[in-house]
Amino acid sequence: MKKRSLIWILLLVAMLVSTGSLWAAAQAEQKPEGPIKIVYWRSLTGVAGDSQDEIVRRFNESRSDIIVEAQFQGAYAEILQKLQAALAAGEVPDLVLLDSPHLQIFAKDGVLVNLDDFVKKEKADFLKDYIPGLLADGYYQGSLYALPVLRSTPLLYVNGDMLEAAGLPRRAPATWDEFREYSKKLTITNAAGEQIQVGAGFTTTVTSGHWYFQGAVYAYGGLVSDENFGVHLTEEPAVAVATLWQDMVFKDKTAIPSNSHNDFLNKKVAMVFGSTGSMGNLVSRADFQVIPAFLPGQKQNLVPVGGSVLAMPSSDKWRQWAAWEFMKFMTGTESQAYLAEKTGYMPNSTSARNHPDLVAYYAKNPHWKVALDQLQYVRPQASVISLPKGTEIIRQMLEKLLIAQIDPKQVMEETKAELEKEYNENFK
Amino acid sequence: MSKRQLDSVKRLSLGERRLMSPRAKRDMWAFIGFTAPNFILLGIFVFWPIVYSLFLSFFKWNMIAPKKTFIGFQNYHTMFTDPVFWQVTKNTLILAFFTVVVKLAIALGLALAMNKHIRGRSVYRAIIFSPTFTTSVAIAMVWSWIFEPTFGLLRVFMKPFGIPPIDWLESVTHSLPAVIIVLIWSGIGYDMVLFLAGLKNISLEIYDAALVDGVSPWQNFWYITFPLLSPTTFFLTITGFIGALKAFDIVAIMTDGGPLNSSNVIVHFLYQNAFQWFKTGYASALALILFIIIMAITLVQNRLSSRWVHY
Repeated sequence: MKKRSLIWILLLVAMLVSTGSLWAAAQAEQKPEGPIKIVYWRSLTGVAGDSQDEIVRRFNESRSDIIVEAQFQGAYAEILQKLQAALAAGEVPDLVLLDSPHLQIFAKDGVLVNLDDFVKKEKADFLKDYIPGLLADGYYQGSLYALPVLRSTPLLYVNGDMLEAAGLPRRAPATWDEFREYSKKLTITNAAGEQIQVGAGFTTTVTSGHWYFQGAVYAYGGLVSDENFGVHLTEEPAVAVATLWQDMVFKDKTAIPSNSHNDFLNKKVAMVFGSTGSMGNLVSRADFQVIPAFLPGQKQNLVPVGGSVLAMPSSDKWRQWAAWEFMKFMTGTESQAYLAEKTGYMPNSTSARNHPDLVAYYAKNPHWKVALDQLQYVRPQASVISLPKGTEIIRQMLEKLLIAQIDPKQVMEETKAELEKEYNENFK
Repeated sequence: MSKRQLDSVKRLSLGERRLMSPRAKRDMWAFIGFTAPNFILLGIFVFWPIVYSLFLSFFKWNMIAPKKTFIGFQNYHTMFTDPVFWQVTKNTLILAFFTVVVKLAIALGLALAMNKHIRGRSVYRAIIFSPTFTTSVAIAMVWSWIFEPTFGLLRVFMKPFGIPPIDWLESVTHSLPAVIIVLIWSGIGYDMVLFLAGLKNISLEIYDAALVDGVSPWQNFWYITFPLLSPTTFFLTITGFIGALKAFDIVAIMTDGGPLNSSNVIVHFLYQNAFQWFKTGYASALALILFIIIMAITLVQNRLSSRWVHY
């Protein structure tokens, strides 16, 4: 009796398993009945998160054949880890929002869908509308793997009231030389020799320290690394930036390493770096005039673009089709105009930039326009940022420069060697 | 029948009964039925990962690529020649030693004080115990603010004494002590409560006898209280060391191991390797080393315990 029931259970399990795989096989052949349900892993919280949910809601309302389910999976770094785990487990989402440098990591190992075939089926000028500098980092080895969504650039935020108190005009420094001069004037020391106000704060966090450094190196006409992972840190522009930052901290004593915008909001530091995505937060919380500005230029104005891209890890044909439909919707004009207005991220296309809602919004809120004006100067980040350990190596570089006070030339040599080693051993 | 034959018959029937009796069989199935869920869960979530991670430590794998490359002992070689690994190990041991020793000393002092009949001592006990049930994220956030060099609470206390501001969390020399201070603070309450329980277990008659013999308060502590508390102290030393060697959350939130790995510890370094830098094989090798370190320290302490622990 017992034996027989065991056999029945085994048979039942076998049947379930086989029907499961049969079903999966059939699914690949023909379009399944009813709406296709796909899963979208989103990141970001607050307004930037809510507005993604709103886009999903709008899409689901407009389509009867596809249902998108948005799942919040944490910050960019957590998405990275969860996607990694999901791939190991073989249970991947259909769409995922990735921090732009992370794209390379996944595209390299062939776990993202190559979008070239989807693009071919669209109108010939489909990609023309996207801002080239934003579209560029969706490519891996000449093929498109992601579309730009919530893009940001590094900015300089300046305390306008402090500028005036120091006898300076209420505008941000235009060059790094000027930035250094401003910083001297903005630093205040009390009778006891204690600094009560510091000119500038340099970010050294693993998430964004490298970003502002890259921007400064671009401004000096150099680059951190090229597309073939050649590291250019020991060249003049990068060494010049390293020396400038270190001198400001240790020689001039007009800057400090500062990893929290609270230093800016508490009026301890007059100038800090931040993402365009931080603008809403800083402007609304500060009880002084916040001037959002371009990163200082020097030889040129050029900024490394950050923020996220939308990529497709889906493994099923029909779900891929549905995912592509949603990708087009989310990166399309209407959605982008809405997202840009709500979050302060940059619109990703010319048509979104010229969308009447957005034009009207920028006219009313001129400081948000900085992001827009910077669009013409954007360019993808250095290739080494895509190395999983790349951002950490650059963070250590900044700590060696700004905390341990090690000679810039030596630091740049060491960092170059470490980045090259990491590339050769773990990425090539 | 000879005695021997009789014996073997007895044994046989006994054996038969053990093997065949339907009742015993039912019991055995019941036993398996009740323990299987536990064994299966433990197997899947504890034993299998341990074995698998040992296996992975011989491979180079980024967790994404379909292919794992066998590299023998390369991960271990990399580890032992990596100065960061040695720095992190040193940090971990320093952190564990100071956290445990200082925490135990303060907790014992507090337990002795709280054992006295002071007004409102249950309120004090509750206050001292409160960090135990506070989430570590909240602890780390608040302490980050306390350590803040310009506006932080610590600065407010130090300013009147003319002590120059210290940027604890951004300093190569002060970040590890900062983490240790927080770990001590957050663990004192738990240790104190266990010491209190230990104190309650010491018979008052011993103290009465000592009183008659006219011993000093110091002798009272050193020859009676301390030796009789030694099982509690031993337990707290072992668990404290294991806990401190596995320190992660406070480090991750307050310093992220920085600056320049000055406050990095093994588990955080392992996490960085596995989940931030995609070095799954290397991280697995680190896990094994951590296991060996914990095992070794526990064994040594166990061995030493016979000299000072009195049950």
